[in-house]
Amino acid sequence: MMNLMANIIINVLIAFIFGSLLLGLHRKVMARVQLRPGPPIIQYFIHSLKFFFKETSFPDTASLPFYVAIVVIFCGVWVTGVIVGPVLESSLLIIFGIYAVHKIVEHNAGSSSGSPYGKLSCVRAVFSAAAELPLFAVLALIFLKTGTLNISALISYQAVHGPLILSMPLAAIMFFTLIISKSPYNPFCITKAKDLITGFETEHFGFLRGFLMFTDSVAWYMLLWVFLVCFFGPIGILGLIIGMIVISIITGFISATTPMLNPNHSVMTQISIAIICTVGSIIILLI
Amino acid sequence: MNKIKIISYILLVASLLGIICGFFTSEYVTLALAIICIPLFILSFGLLNMAKPTKDEMEERVQEPFTGY
Repeated sequence: MMNLMANIIINVLIAFIFGSLLLGLHRKVMARVQLRPGPPIIQYFIHSLKFFFKETSFPDTASLPFYVAIVVIFCGVWVTGVIVGPVLESSLLIIFGIYAVHKIVEHNAGSSSGSPYGKLSCVRAVFSAAAELPLFAVLALIFLKTGTLNISALISYQAVHGPLILSMPLAAIMFFTLIISKSPYNPFCITKAKDLITGFETEHFGFLRGFLMFTDSVAWYMLLWVFLVCFFGPIGILGLIIGMIVISIITGFISATTPMLNPNHSVMTQISIAIICTVGSIIILLI
Repeated sequence: MNKIKIISYILLVASLLGIICGFFTSEYVTLALAIICIPLFILSFGLLNMAKPTKDEMEERVQEPFTGY
């Protein structure tokens, strides 16, 4: 059996490399849909590394220790995500907790820079926290259906009873809405909307930006991993790769063809989808 | 050698030692070391490798008028 620390390091590296390639693919799909050539798929990965060697400016208006620490915390949060997910296949509740902390990090990264774009993004992060409710509803529904929130138990359950996407399609739609809301340039992306430049990341330059991009890649990989494992079960490495590529292409298409919603419409749309899917799922469970 | 560079070197060595220790410790200690040391290692790596402006450029950057928000 592989050493735990080696397992963690390998999984974090896989999450970074594959996650950044998927984000590159997402960007490429967006460009092709909009009839632009777009950057190469590997560009996001190269950018993440390149920024580590660029000059880094620290804004006069920033709360410096916090401004740097929040980037480290962001990374720590998603290293925890990798440990809970692919490494230990532990509880989904911890994944929910990680998303809650992710929102807090968005909030604090925005407020620490002193930039008005960051501050507005920070306010919107609080506002959009309501959009995390669908994830909690999905977890509750999964528990009602399977009686467990342990990832490895869920995989075993689906190996016997078939994938959950067939018995809980509305819950899967709800989770997919969450995936859309986390993809770049998506219609619900109010914390990084273009009117805020890049939102809470606007004032993080140089290697700090590279560090944020590293964590964004890990976060994107983890989100897709959790979705595929929760709703498709034991699909193997090849299934995971194909699933992640397909979801990135679909979200790229959605991001390219939909306008960004304003904050209240964004949150209300997500909550409306959550309510409809939750009620529908409960009715299906009762039937 | 300035203060940031010294702190970065200390952080780099400490986080690397933490990661190496994580190979031989019990499960919970390994998890804690991974969550703390991996981000700190990347941070110190970034602080050491980021490009620094030359002295003239540094003055230009500092003296640039603050346009305000």
